[in-house]
Amino acid sequence: MHEVSIALSLLDIAERYCEKEGYKGIESIGVKIGKASGVMSEALLFAFDAVKIGTIAEKAHLIIDEIPVSGFCSTCNNNFSVKETYILCCPRCGDTSFRLETGRELDVCEMEVFE
Amino acid sequence: MKVKVITRILEANDRIAAENRKLFNKAGVYVINLMSAPGAGKTSLIERTITELHRKLRIGVIEGDIAGTGDAQRIEKLGIPVIQINTGSACHLDANMINEAIVDLPLKDLDLLIIENVGNLVCPAEFKVGEDMKVMILSITEGDDKPLKYPLMFQESSALILNKIDLLSYTNADLEKIKKDSLSLNPNLKIFEVSCKTGQGIAEWTEWLQSLVP
Repeated sequence: MHEVSIALSLLDIAERYCEKEGYKGIESIGVKIGKASGVMSEALLFAFDAVKIGTIAEKAHLIIDEIPVSGFCSTCNNNFSVKETYILCCPRCGDTSFRLETGRELDVCEMEVFE
Repeated sequence: MKVKVITRILEANDRIAAENRKLFNKAGVYVINLMSAPGAGKTSLIERTITELHRKLRIGVIEGDIAGTGDAQRIEKLGIPVIQINTGSACHLDANMINEAIVDLPLKDLDLLIIENVGNLVCPAEFKVGEDMKVMILSITEGDDKPLKYPLMFQESSALILNKIDLLSYTNADLEKIKKDSLSLNPNLKIFEVSCKTGQGIAEWTEWLQSLVP
């Protein structure tokens, strides 16, 4: 729902980086979006295309790496990875004493830039 | 040329939130970020909280709404410093909006600042604004399926206010299910059953809140 804010933050990070390092343009930006981050990839792509116009990232395309929800349950000593966007208990034993290891990512990873 | 730029996308927001937090700490003001769906009773809870605590604490309010000044007018009537933020179209308050708003608040003369977020069960939970604690309201009439449908807000909040508890017998909502699901998402969640209309449970909430304000 707040993908426009996310797209603007993304653009801000990319612009600051290019300004600091002296790059003139961006061809692509690679991001990791966790399935439990609350951000929809399609909406983010749409928002990014709208906000990039007139910026250093005007020609950039967004490459989204969707990260599944995974974690470790200390009760049944189980590493798990699930398709769901959210889990409330360990998918094997049903206990709630698990910790999420991936799925909440909202990170920029790499950019393809030119001088 | 490919370059590695590993950064949290919300880093810019988090940076400004940390700045706000510093300003709040320096001024000695405790800040809560109050979130809920539209119509759950955020402004009513703030009114009740002010009425209960204004002799004990100096309180200020920031009102976040997409449009309109109705909420700020309600608070102003109580003689409390209030700033209205209109987000235009944004579905949540972010750290920068708060950073700009607090310039107009007498922070040094406040003990407690209540930030009323935009009515929305989704996005406000994602954006820190520099608060000491997030508090959410779920009104009984919204139904008992909400914790599992909107888990993030329940996980991020320190306290859950179950408002409109006086209407419980008129709905199909299962109070125990709400509590059980909320606690399974967040075992440390402090739960208060209140009615802003009748005043039920307000004293428990305000006593707890007051105990947190240094």
